[in-house]
Amino acid sequence: MGALDIGYAGLAAGYLLLLLPLGIMLWLRIPLMGATLIAVVRMTVQLLLVGFYLQFLFAFADWRLTALWLVIMIVVADLSILRGTRLCVRCFVGPLFLALAAGTALPLVFFVALLLRLPNWMDPQYVIPIAGMILGNCLRADIIGIRSFYDSIRKSNRAYLHRLAAGASHSEAVRPFLRDAVSAALAPTVATMATIGLVSLPGMMTGVILGGSSPLVAIQYQIAIMIAIFCGTAVTVVAAITLTLRSAFSPYGTLDPAIFR
Amino acid sequence: MMPSNYNTAGTDAPPAIDVEALALVFGDRAVLTDFSMTVASGEKVVLAGPSGSGKSSILACLLGFLVPAAGRIAIRGEPLTAQSVWRLRREIALVQQEPDLGDRSAGEWLEEPFHFHANASRRDHLSRLPDVLRHVRLPPGILAQKSGDLSGGEKQRLALVGALLLDRPILLLDEPTSALDADSRDAVYACLAGLRGKSLLMISHDTGRGLDFADRVVSLSPGEAPHGRA
Repeated sequence: MGALDIGYAGLAAGYLLLLLPLGIMLWLRIPLMGATLIAVVRMTVQLLLVGFYLQFLFAFADWRLTALWLVIMIVVADLSILRGTRLCVRCFVGPLFLALAAGTALPLVFFVALLLRLPNWMDPQYVIPIAGMILGNCLRADIIGIRSFYDSIRKSNRAYLHRLAAGASHSEAVRPFLRDAVSAALAPTVATMATIGLVSLPGMMTGVILGGSSPLVAIQYQIAIMIAIFCGTAVTVVAAITLTLRSAFSPYGTLDPAIFR
Repeated sequence: MMPSNYNTAGTDAPPAIDVEALALVFGDRAVLTDFSMTVASGEKVVLAGPSGSGKSSILACLLGFLVPAAGRIAIRGEPLTAQSVWRLRREIALVQQEPDLGDRSAGEWLEEPFHFHANASRRDHLSRLPDVLRHVRLPPGILAQKSGDLSGGEKQRLALVGALLLDRPILLLDEPTSALDADSRDAVYACLAGLRGKSLLMISHDTGRGLDFADRVVSLSPGEAPHGRA
């Protein structure tokens, strides 16, 4: 049994719920009416396009189309991170793409090949939603990790230069900043894992239950995806910082101020 | 002590520091033009001058933290390049004017450089710590204190302790006594005077009493420098 089909008429009725928050905005004169309407339209159009495209992908189940979609997802995530961190796009776009690809691909392969044991590793019905969940978390982790890393070196530049002057290699000099940045990036996922199921039912579990599976099957998926997300975020943050070092520092080991926009 | 342009150390070893025709530009402001200076092996030189005269920038250039627009720097006879700088920094110990200890205790901060691969063979130097602390008039209890509990003067003396423990052939000091009272400053100068076989380049606003330990004082005051050989 799959999830019940709401139908377009049902969905249209669902929009009526918007009247309540919009009414509150009008009543309190909250200047968010325009932005809210634009966001609702954008959400609808984006999801419609994605829905049609995924339906097309699922129908054809061609690994090349699936791979192309994954690449597009990673490129969009890459540019979103650079917009979020306000770092030099030209310097970081390539290394960050690789870091996101590594952080997504590693747990994804583990998930589809070892856990699900899919005969077709590129089955879009599994690969795309699972990759999306991992990538979304990698994106958040990279924004926190990269920004924290470069900001803390800029802020503590005297301490960083002191380490270089004391004879540290470049990797030794950046080590405490890397440790703090990875720690900051992983903390939200650790906190989510610690409270999952108590505060709210997580997305994947909800999806599997709505899809008609038992809650016990749903928690297996949820536990596996949380571990995959944790693994992906750790890999992508370390890879993102490590791969961007070359672009961000001079050959003398000093931080290039031009990386900050 | 009067400024002097003569090298008094007189050894056959290559100069500890050799700066040739250095030019340093920040934006459209020339901080240094055609500046040259030499610190002979074992020589103690004070580089004096007002704020903005480029003293600290010279130290930054010697460590590769600033890349000059023109000129040549050699440390112990070896040209400073992007490749050699990593090795040459290990010939130098730096005392920063305002060291940033982070949120560690003073003891942890002093020990940290000895965890670097390059300093692995010097870990036993930490056994000299009580002696060095005594020389700069710091109590042993200071090692347990966190950065926030330390005064600027205590941090400066800790920076000197760290540099002395590394026991490198060249010592660069950036205004190491700017936050010290007269007694502590005298203790630091006495400590520097007692160093044997070390080449020393110290930045100072002060050219007065206490700098007798220096072989030379090079002035970067407007009119006297910052161009030409010092």
